[in-house]
Amino acid sequence: MNVHELPMIMFTTLAQMSVGAFVVLGIIQIVAARRFGSDAIDKVTDPALYAIGPAMVLGLVASMFHMNDPMHTLNVLRNVDSSWLTREILLGTGFAGLGFVFAFLQWKKLGSVRQRQALALVTAVVGLVLVGSMSMIYYSLVTVPAWHTLATPAQFFTTTFLLGALAVGAALMGAVMWRIRVASRDADGVVGAEQTVVDTTSRTVLTSSLKGIGVAAIVLLGIEFIIIALHLSELSGAGDVAGQSAAVFSGGWFVARLVLVFLGAGLLSVFLFRYASSASTARPLAILVSSSFALVLVGELIGRSLFYDSMFRIGM
Amino acid sequence: MDKLGFSFDQTLCNGCKACSVACKDKHDLPVGVTWRRVAEYTGGTWQQDGDTVVPNVFSYFTSMSCNHCEDPICVKVCPTTAMHVGEDGIVSIDQDKCVGCRYCEWACPYSAPQFDPSSGHMTKCDMCADYRAEGEDPACVAACPSRALGWGPIDELRAEHGTLAGVEPLPDPAITRPRLVIVPHRDAQPTGQGTGAIINPEEL
Repeated sequence: MNVHELPMIMFTTLAQMSVGAFVVLGIIQIVAARRFGSDAIDKVTDPALYAIGPAMVLGLVASMFHMNDPMHTLNVLRNVDSSWLTREILLGTGFAGLGFVFAFLQWKKLGSVRQRQALALVTAVVGLVLVGSMSMIYYSLVTVPAWHTLATPAQFFTTTFLLGALAVGAALMGAVMWRIRVASRDADGVVGAEQTVVDTTSRTVLTSSLKGIGVAAIVLLGIEFIIIALHLSELSGAGDVAGQSAAVFSGGWFVARLVLVFLGAGLLSVFLFRYASSASTARPLAILVSSSFALVLVGELIGRSLFYDSMFRIGM
Repeated sequence: MDKLGFSFDQTLCNGCKACSVACKDKHDLPVGVTWRRVAEYTGGTWQQDGDTVVPNVFSYFTSMSCNHCEDPICVKVCPTTAMHVGEDGIVSIDQDKCVGCRYCEWACPYSAPQFDPSSGHMTKCDMCADYRAEGEDPACVAACPSRALGWGPIDELRAEHGTLAGVEPLPDPAITRPRLVIVPHRDAQPTGQGTGAIINPEEL
């Protein structure tokens, strides 16, 4: 485990999760709004939207600890011309800023629906470009074989959508459980509260979203395993330095990473997909999707740690 | 203005590391920061020669610091522009801008930028700018007892010693185009075709 790069591990993972969650929520909004209208959907999705900001801010704060001289921090913005790191920081703060503005407008219902959708689209694009820039920081280092490979952007984008989707699922169900708990104080027990909180439309949106998230997780899991296999194959045949990197992807932590992601994005997601419609109460689904998210989050953090451990440079 | 560089004659180097110590001493470098390092590259095995088995073992040294490259990857990746190139081609670090993110350290195939924990900044060879301003040689060049190290306008060094800038264990010079000229050891192996290994990695 790489403790030295913990700030970067936290930042890259949280930022990617935030971007992925924002994009996934956008997709849910667009698809569901056609059937039920924006107002009905907002009720379901807005709480998840509000959770993205804190996650992104937490990531940006973590990245500050990567700078050994915080007094000079603003200097990192100086080299837009050739430094992907400068671009990443600009895009990261841009995504966070735009996201905040959008969340505020959404909360207050300011501007028209179309205007907010346009802003959401811009924010999502900035977020995806952020992930691309993040990838290029490592891909552009021609001196580091383990990073100078298409596996880097492929893995970063896969993590973005996998963690993002599961985070949305966990947030959606978390919000529902919270509402049920609040409502149950005034109603005749949990059952009554749940029927009040989760109306027919909300239930349909939630179950459809969870099914979609389950499918997405399973597909992305497959993609991730393919990327890992191809990456290892590439490194193993590329010389001594690359071989040293390949050796990092063996042993207990690597196996733990694979098992965690498989359980979370594979097994639990299959259950999520199958039981999303048939579950009679919200609680089992909430536990299922939250467990899935937690397992994958830990797995991806371990994976990112191994990514930094795999940094071996050519030369002397 | 002439771009400056180093030359290194492997045929003359006996690996005494006086250059490394001189550099560390002159710049008061803390433990763990070593701007100039000497790698011992060794290889070989036994060969059948008729009825005789003979060894073809070889060993040679490479003294390496910043090569003040023509295409410095450290300058390209630095987010603060602290890493910059002077008119004389010397790559140096503006300590007032550096945030110590260590991105340049990841990038450089010669390990030239080194992190100083006490200042929280990157540090590196600037070819003893203060000595040169006084008309003196860089400390490492002055200290070399066998005169293996040299410095000066890179065009002159190339005219005198040739244009070779990479042998094992150095990386492909095409990556950053180092302002470095090497006079190779008789056993020196081409970059990328090495059969040996660095046997003093703990010193690098």
